[in-house]
Amino acid sequence: MLMAHSFPEEVLEHVFSFIRSEKDRNAISLVCKSWYEIERWCRHRLFIGNCYAVSPRITIRRFPELRSVSLKGKPHFADFNLVPQGWGGNVYPWVAAMAQAYPWLEELRLKRMVVTDDTLELISRSFKNFKVLVLSSCEGFTTDGLAAIAANCRNLRELDLRESEVDDPSGNWLSHFPESCTSLVSLSFACLEGEVSFSALERLVGRCTNLKTLRLNQAVPLDKLPNLLRRAPQLVDLGTGVYSAEVRPELYSKLAGAFLGCKELKSLSGFWEVLPAYLPAIYPVCAGLTSLNLSYATIQGPDLIKLVSQCQSLQRLWVLDYIEDNGLDTLAASCKDLQELRVFPSDPYSAEPNVSLTEQGLVSVSEGCPKLQSVLYFCRQMSNAALLTIARNRPNMTRFRLCIIEPQAPDYLTLQPLDAGFGAIVEHCNNLRRLSLSGLLTDRVFEYIGTHGKKLEMLSLAFAGDGDLGLHNVLSGCKSLRKLEIRDCPFGDKALLANALKLETMRSLWMSSCSVSFGACKLLGQKMQRLNVEVIDERGPPDSRPDNCSVERLYVYRSVAGPRLDKPNFVWTMDEDFALKLS
Amino acid sequence: MSEGEMAIIKPEVMKSYIWLQTADGSIQQVEEEVAMFCPMICREILQTGMGSSKNYAISLPQKVNPTTLSLILDYCRFHQLPGRSNKERKSFDEKFIRIDTKRLCELTSAADSLQLKPLVDLTSRALARMIEGKTPEEIRETFHLPDDLTEEEKLEPLRNTADDLRIRLLNRLYARKRKELKEKQKMKNVEVEEERVDDRSVDDLLSFINGGDGGFEGVRAPKNKKKNQRRKGHSKDPSTNDVNKNHKEMDDLSSACCKEDESGNVFMASHSKAAKLKVAVDGFPPKVEFDDGDIDDELDPAMKEELDREVEDFARRLNSDWPERMQEILSLGQDRKLVSISMNGNGSLRRYTSLERR
Repeated sequence: MLMAHSFPEEVLEHVFSFIRSEKDRNAISLVCKSWYEIERWCRHRLFIGNCYAVSPRITIRRFPELRSVSLKGKPHFADFNLVPQGWGGNVYPWVAAMAQAYPWLEELRLKRMVVTDDTLELISRSFKNFKVLVLSSCEGFTTDGLAAIAANCRNLRELDLRESEVDDPSGNWLSHFPESCTSLVSLSFACLEGEVSFSALERLVGRCTNLKTLRLNQAVPLDKLPNLLRRAPQLVDLGTGVYSAEVRPELYSKLAGAFLGCKELKSLSGFWEVLPAYLPAIYPVCAGLTSLNLSYATIQGPDLIKLVSQCQSLQRLWVLDYIEDNGLDTLAASCKDLQELRVFPSDPYSAEPNVSLTEQGLVSVSEGCPKLQSVLYFCRQMSNAALLTIARNRPNMTRFRLCIIEPQAPDYLTLQPLDAGFGAIVEHCNNLRRLSLSGLLTDRVFEYIGTHGKKLEMLSLAFAGDGDLGLHNVLSGCKSLRKLEIRDCPFGDKALLANALKLETMRSLWMSSCSVSFGACKLLGQKMQRLNVEVIDERGPPDSRPDNCSVERLYVYRSVAGPRLDKPNFVWTMDEDFALKLS
Repeated sequence: MSEGEMAIIKPEVMKSYIWLQTADGSIQQVEEEVAMFCPMICREILQTGMGSSKNYAISLPQKVNPTTLSLILDYCRFHQLPGRSNKERKSFDEKFIRIDTKRLCELTSAADSLQLKPLVDLTSRALARMIEGKTPEEIRETFHLPDDLTEEEKLEPLRNTADDLRIRLLNRLYARKRKELKEKQKMKNVEVEEERVDDRSVDDLLSFINGGDGGFEGVRAPKNKKKNQRRKGHSKDPSTNDVNKNHKEMDDLSSACCKEDESGNVFMASHSKAAKLKVAVDGFPPKVEFDDGDIDDELDPAMKEELDREVEDFARRLNSDWPERMQEILSLGQDRKLVSISMNGNGSLRRYTSLERR
């Protein structure tokens, strides 16, 4: 028997310091008792994908030296208003506990959580070396909370409010950054609605010489942009404000000159209300751009084509479907480094297509861009043939999300379900980690997915399948599945109960408007101690209806923290004592 | 021969050597400039004057055995020459660490004990690369480590969530209620229905499934909670009047509740096509990636052993110093408040907590 070499603790710690990925850190901690101990003391970054999977107390006890914490709250389908207001995900208990335990906390990244002004105030006062605050799709706070962060966090490097919902009563928060603040590297407030003080902004940008990311909101008019750019020629990532003004030659030349001075720009976004006449001002930076987000830019095909054809280094493009098929052809021809493409619908509610964007555009890009691996594509028609072509072209695909706007739309050529097409995707793309399906789909597609989707980690379904066998195939076949979200599919009790153990290996399962009965939920909750089985039902207590009545929404997730205690009155946890809680 | 003649004939004799002794007793000599490259040896020489002769050899730390010392000295001999280019050094390093795992481990520890930081970094990185991407089992195999975490520690022992104060209290309340209920039922002489345990095998279930459940065709639009959306064309909900109207119809239908069909499935009354949700699964998503977090792995597998520890701790404490436990509870974070503590008749403490709501 070969003996293990015994390392001094500091040596192992030093080795671990080169191992950063969450997966590897988790693996280290499961090797043996001594590695577990050493690892937990030198873990500085933590990612918690579901804030209810563990409690602050357990976290703090296990990892005493955290500097960076990331937390996610509501399930993904909250983005589509499928999670009622007041569901939960309040970060305050975490911040309160960490304020005591981690006075040296530097970074907090939250997604889909409820953050109050009090919380922001507490953050700003509790962590002396606080550097990074990222609030992604969060809500519950106002600019008053931001003012506290600005005023009190002396070493703030990053403040990023992506897509959060923020009330903006006074609009003066930016002025709360003290004149002594020069540490900002990243400032993103694109989601704010109110005005900011331009002079405060200009002074702030001017004195933060390390500023690399600046994303403005719509309230910043175009004529303010040149001054800002001149003060920050080192910018790498810019989000413009409104990109439209009356046509004034002197504004145009100022703008063009300012962009010319930004030699480091790699990423552009913003572009609300674009006036095409001002677009050529950015042409000088196009060749160096790796990321371009035009998803708010309502510019039409020809202008888009002119723009995109100059961005030969582009790796990521987010754009509205105004780009149309021929725009995507140009993209395929010009941008050989493209890795990620997202095409959003400009008018999803109209019955008839308003643009000429079909499956062909995506096929073109899949042919022309050898590095394409991440796709989010909204369109109105799709065929199995196209999907097969895409699959064959791009076996390196890792994320594939297709949204055919009309639910249950068949292959428009053959009128068949799209099972074979998606089957081809999972079969050819062996590294596929994320998949969203749409269109007419039977249980057959789930056979394919269960057979081939071995690396699939996240799957989103809507209006698909015929019955329980579909769900059973997914749960039993997809070995790497961690998140499954389902709406309006005819999946019921049997598949769920037969695969109850699988649910413990996943982060979460969401099912809404399916056929899961209240009785099955109860059974699942009672049998599976390590799962929180939550029924969300706004019709009232589920047991006021028969056991075989379907629940509105079901959210199942594994947890070591037990049932959560902050449930609103429309959420019930199914467990042993469920029946008693109601009496 | 005179000294001068010796110098001409054997210039190498004038080169300085340092004498080093490893833990096994063996002694060797090394060129001075090579030995001085190790901070620990360098310090020994300068501070204690040791190493200048065989009798006064510098004792090296225990982790440095002769084989490892030889390797380390090769490293020092190469790198102490100032004339080498970065490319040469890098190339040397890459070849240097291509040794078997056992040697690499020994080398790392030895370099650490000699405080030879560049070599410690080099070997540590090499070890890190060997660890990355492996499963715990594979790592154990590579380094011959014991598999001494218990199954409970590796999995998630949620047997006893009662370590949380509030949950303990709740459990106590429920236990009492359960008792009360049982007694009520006894008194009513009502048969307590056996809990339906589904212990059919998966195969049974599968054949049931394959036997063809009725399909379900109900489609229900989600609740319409439209937030204030300024994004053009990107509202997260169908907001046309038609759809709203149909939603209301749906709500009426759904509150009229469920019908059961023959196979035991429940379906909702179907509705007109107009109300069918126009929003596909990924409609109008937020345009952000969260550090690719949706794909990243998370804490769960690794924290699974925590709870067993907690249970152990809790049981131990419960059996010993009760007042100590109270202290700890009192000093815990703000998400708990002890409202009142009272003693009941037989002297045991009863705690009441308010459930903090935010």
